[in-house]
Amino acid sequence: MEDLKKLITDAKKDFAACKSLTELDNAKSKYLGKAGPITEAMKGLSKLSKGEKPKIGALINEVKQGIELALNHCKESIQKAILTKQLSDESIDVSLPGIKGNSGSLHPITLTMRRIERIFHSVGFDLARGPEIEDDYHNFTALNIPESHPARAMHDTFYINKNYVLRTHTSPVQVRYMKENKPPLRIISPGRVYRVDSDATHSPMFHQVEGLWIDENINFANLKGVVQDFLQQFFEDSSLSIRFRPSFFPFTEPSAEIDMSWNGGWLEIGGCGMVHPNVLKHTNINKNDFQGFAFGLGVERLAMLKFGLDDLRPFFTHDLRFLKQFKV
Amino acid sequence: MQFSKKWLQEFFNESLDKLDLEELLTSAGVEVEDVKDLSSISNQIVVGEIVEINKHPDADRLNVCHVDVGTKDYLQIVCGASNARKGIKVPCAMVGAELPEFKIKKAKLRGVESFGMLCSAKELGISDDADGLHELNSELTLGQPITDALELNDIIFHLSITPNRADCLSLKGIAREVAALSDLSLKEDEYLQIKASINNTQKINVEDSIACPRYCGLQISNVDNNIKLPEFMINYLERGGIKSINPVVDITNYVLLERGQPLHAFDQNKLNGEISVRNAKKGEVLILLNEQEIKFQGGELIISDTNGPLALAGIMGGELSSIKAESKDIFLESAYFDTVQIAGRARSFSLNTESSHRFERGVDFSSTLLSLNYAASLIVKYCGGSISNSIDITDQLPQRKPIRLDTKRIVKIMGVAISSEEVAAILKKLKFSFAQDKDEFLVTPPQYRFDITIEEDLVEEVIRLFGYNNIPALVPNMPAKMLETKSEIKPIDLIKDTLVSHGYNEVISYSFIPNDREKNLHNNNNLIELENPIAANLSVMRSKMWSSHIEALLYNLNRGQKIVRLFEIASIYKLNNGTFKEDRVLSGLAYGDQIPEQCGEKNREINFYDIKGDIENISCKTLSFMKAIDHTPACLHPGKTAEILLEKTKVGWLGCLHPSWQQKFELPRDTYLFELNTIVFSDLKDLSYDLPSKFVPVRRDISVIIDKDIVVGDLVKDIYSSKIKNLIKFEPFDVYQGDGIENNKKSIAFLILIQDTYKTLEDKEVSKVVDQVIKCLENKFGAKLR
Repeated sequence: MEDLKKLITDAKKDFAACKSLTELDNAKSKYLGKAGPITEAMKGLSKLSKGEKPKIGALINEVKQGIELALNHCKESIQKAILTKQLSDESIDVSLPGIKGNSGSLHPITLTMRRIERIFHSVGFDLARGPEIEDDYHNFTALNIPESHPARAMHDTFYINKNYVLRTHTSPVQVRYMKENKPPLRIISPGRVYRVDSDATHSPMFHQVEGLWIDENINFANLKGVVQDFLQQFFEDSSLSIRFRPSFFPFTEPSAEIDMSWNGGWLEIGGCGMVHPNVLKHTNINKNDFQGFAFGLGVERLAMLKFGLDDLRPFFTHDLRFLKQFKV
Repeated sequence: MQFSKKWLQEFFNESLDKLDLEELLTSAGVEVEDVKDLSSISNQIVVGEIVEINKHPDADRLNVCHVDVGTKDYLQIVCGASNARKGIKVPCAMVGAELPEFKIKKAKLRGVESFGMLCSAKELGISDDADGLHELNSELTLGQPITDALELNDIIFHLSITPNRADCLSLKGIAREVAALSDLSLKEDEYLQIKASINNTQKINVEDSIACPRYCGLQISNVDNNIKLPEFMINYLERGGIKSINPVVDITNYVLLERGQPLHAFDQNKLNGEISVRNAKKGEVLILLNEQEIKFQGGELIISDTNGPLALAGIMGGELSSIKAESKDIFLESAYFDTVQIAGRARSFSLNTESSHRFERGVDFSSTLLSLNYAASLIVKYCGGSISNSIDITDQLPQRKPIRLDTKRIVKIMGVAISSEEVAAILKKLKFSFAQDKDEFLVTPPQYRFDITIEEDLVEEVIRLFGYNNIPALVPNMPAKMLETKSEIKPIDLIKDTLVSHGYNEVISYSFIPNDREKNLHNNNNLIELENPIAANLSVMRSKMWSSHIEALLYNLNRGQKIVRLFEIASIYKLNNGTFKEDRVLSGLAYGDQIPEQCGEKNREINFYDIKGDIENISCKTLSFMKAIDHTPACLHPGKTAEILLEKTKVGWLGCLHPSWQQKFELPRDTYLFELNTIVFSDLKDLSYDLPSKFVPVRRDISVIIDKDIVVGDLVKDIYSSKIKNLIKFEPFDVYQGDGIENNKKSIAFLILIQDTYKTLEDKEVSKVVDQVIKCLENKFGAKLR
């Protein structure tokens, strides 16, 4: 009897000494195997008297369960130790760099134009495009800049021949759009424009966004409102203020230069005005029925301000070290 | 246009100091670009006299001067100016003086010590004249600060005047503007009385009275053109940006700046017979004041005498009849040339003169004679001489027609409340004459306003004075009508985003490229050339973007980049039977390894199929890639180039840069170039969508041996077009040549996916599909199952 009970203590000791599942298996067969003491004791049961049988039987069972419990307990702790070791063995240096393909980027001018387009789109400005090799009529004449007008000299035009130029502004798109569509009209037209000019703040090719809104009662105060609203949204600054200065563009009357408050001073950001009656006439719009405004903004200037750059040349030198910063 | 504030002050009794001129003018549209306060010039710059001058022992172009600045010791100063000579008085910046660009320190120049600097007008900052030392009046006191000596308590305003405001191209015009914008009132014009004492003997004939509606002239005899004009006049001229030449010429320029009337003085003794204002005949020649020789095409407006052209009318005089120091007798011209006739002429001779600038924009034709007499009176006052009576030949001058202006129209256009009383007050300020009937005005603009012809011009004038700042910023009320949004068009933005996620960097490159690149690399001889390129290597509009992208590649390789993937979506330009065609195209370049070098990753160079995969990934539609044997672009490797087709339409190219170009550009590795018309991506029409089958497809692999020359694409295309029932995919996954395969053969492994929409397929049915595929390959391509 006592011997049987002692088996549990012995088994517990043996099991605890096991370091692997194989050792534990061996130790298990020592107690619970075919030649083990429990099997032996079971075999001995038949020799016992009727009165003793249930008592001893119950004791054997109790001992067996005790051993099994101890076994399972040790098994779990060995498994746990194995898992712990596995986890620690498999641990990696998460600080090593991730495996990447080449990192792509969008051009800062594209990012800026998208932002401009999205803001204007939110109040219903549609997108329009026009050719970059533009005829003299659309680039100048239809915009009330007749041949030999001094304003032509302001434009530093690239000529292809007598009748064709690289468009000096996006304004010809106004004319094309007004001819093809009936008012009310509300568009912006972003794109490449060209002037014979090159330094830190001028590129012979650059980008403008033209805006046009023609309706029955669109007025100069509205122009001011739209331009101010746009700049406030673009720069995410509701305290940004604008100043209109009288200016001259042959295709608008009245015309204004747009200044924006910036670092305590004023910064010129574009030109605008009410569409000139002669331009309306060229596009068969009756000035007594419809009126509206047009504006032109320099995309590079907006991009430079937005990204804090003071030179626009990197936009066009393709240096990947510069471009890759503009991840999307 | 630039001017001296002191000069402007002479038009007013009250001081200008109470105005913020810069703000006043700029906010009214006469933009002040720059303000230069001359009184801020260092008082360490003083009047000095060169008392001794010797050649520098070690430098041919330098002199060692001893300069008297009124102190006990002379200063030793090394000077390189060519007009440095003994006895002249010049501005001397002493040690410690601060110039706009730098501070004067004691220096050693080629071993000789120098204690200051002798200055040009530009170094002083009083004009742009950098040509030698600024020689001073010999009567000035040595050691006197230059600010006092030259009366530099003045401010120079630089204005940027828009082409419509010709009336502001003079001191008088600016004074008029200031008066209109402030409550200062203009002084009355003062004209000296002139008395004609000789007879005008010069005959004048205006042949082209349309181009020259008014021509006035008079003679002055016996002037002394060697006198010195008062310092203030020279200062005003120089501060107005005009260099002093000689007294008579200076006076004509003085009147030009003050009144805005360009004048021209001829040496009477160089004139022969009648002066005529006429059109040049072809072949006539004129040498201008700037020594430029003009050969006339015929039709240009000139002033001539019986010997031939004397001057380019309204633009520049000729050298021969010009006024020199020794000139004694003068013929003085004051004319009005029509803007349209003169416009563009100066530019066609690459000229832009003070005179042409004004005539092109419009000169006040009501004061042609007044200005002539004013100039003559000044000449006689300072140079002496006798004046003849003046001749005034006037034909049809421009008319200022009354323009209707309605206050209600102003309100409608501007969106601001303005009353008719306010409008009337503004018109009065502007000195526009008008008649008023309640809200309606009939306004006649003055002669000098060439820019006011329609009601909108008057609206701007009124609002300009009302103040643009007084107009509210009002976002318009508008109906919430939504924009048409087509689902058939994939936005270009999405294509760009996809390329970016595939590791491409967007670039924006110039639309113009070098001529030889367009010809040779792009193989295009139908060039679109610029007449006036900004640089010789930016002279031709590109028909492909590859040249620009190769430039970008080289730029980046030179800066240590190993992987370059670029794309651009822009227009390319083609000339077709005399018309220009622009297509919006996606173009790009790929070079270097497949992925950046990194920890534990195997790497390899990119190949054709990497880029092909990228292109396939951005297109929603199935593209086919075909070899184009006879029309592959010359800059691409003929064996590694595919033409891209969308069904039967040719939409682009993908290829490897030709080895001979690779060598020329010294590129160590293969460069892949592609180009695709954006139509391919943007057109989403005809796309259809199906629900997925509930059943899992069965996969079978086969391996066949075919002739080496057969392209796998043909096999695939053929199987698909055979429309084998239940076959949903047939795709190569391995190509093998070498051991175990005959020399002229290759082995291709295909996967076949088989699936029925309505039931699970039985083995028998699956095998049937595989058999059909094999049979098809055997029959059409002589394939053998491996």
